[in-house]
Amino acid sequence: MKKNQLFKLMNKSDIILVAVLVVLAAILYAVMYFGIGTAESGGTKVAVVTYKQQEVLRIDMTVDGTYTVTATLGEVTIEVKDGAVRVEKETSPYHLCSIQGWVSHSNTPIICLPNDLVVVIENGGSGSEDVIIG
Amino acid sequence: MKLKTWVSLALLLAIGIVLQIIEPQLPLPVLGVKLGLANIVGILAMRRYGYREMLTVNLLRVLLASLLRGTIFGTGFWLSLSGVLLSTLMVIAASRLTKLSTIGLCILSSAAHCLGQILAICVIWSSIYLIGYLPVMWLLSVPTGMLTGYLSDQVLNRLPKEA
Repeated sequence: MKKNQLFKLMNKSDIILVAVLVVLAAILYAVMYFGIGTAESGGTKVAVVTYKQQEVLRIDMTVDGTYTVTATLGEVTIEVKDGAVRVEKETSPYHLCSIQGWVSHSNTPIICLPNDLVVVIENGGSGSEDVIIG
Repeated sequence: MKLKTWVSLALLLAIGIVLQIIEPQLPLPVLGVKLGLANIVGILAMRRYGYREMLTVNLLRVLLASLLRGTIFGTGFWLSLSGVLLSTLMVIAASRLTKLSTIGLCILSSAAHCLGQILAICVIWSSIYLIGYLPVMWLLSVPTGMLTGYLSDQVLNRLPKEA
């Protein structure tokens, strides 16, 4: 009964709006997924850590290790292992970026809004001329 | 404007501020997602009084709620403000130009709110990566918009007609 009531309240233009939203979301997802960072393998992957839009750390992802960065709410521990990166420990209200876990693709950034910290994987990039030779 | 209208708008504003402050405390299965309950107040203001009233109530709501929470002029405040501005303007435009019902308006409002926030964070951080969250947020804005729209409809039906 209640379900029918809800659908009675929605008219044709509502359905069109929902359809448009879903289509837009799908297009955007496709563009983001295939457009940015298509190179999943090959080349040296570098994890770039930015704090308040300033690059503070550039981590070679072929080497495992743990790094610590001081951000807005305290120290943030970033771990690299087997070509993936994660935020291991951080201080924030919801711990969204440490819950997110391991990231190994350049189209998925790790963003910690309360700490003004962003971790993005770049393929090759500046300062790694070896890639061109290899 | 009549005194009664002023008082009603002030009451709506107060309800909106309370909703906005208690909303992040509600436990939700999906982390980082809000229902947008405070938006109900804006829709009520628009349906009962008008477009300008809706804009006033929504803007004051964001301003006062962040002032009370002590987050004013922080990153979150600017996100909130740009989200609310874009969503209010979109809803006003849509209710003039299209035949969207209250539920449709709430879905649109929610989607526009997400878009405004994402655009703001892209400007603040000068990075476009966060647009990647937009598809997920838009899909989630359909059920949350339906919920807030349904609630707004129910409240509108139960409120006595303005004399």
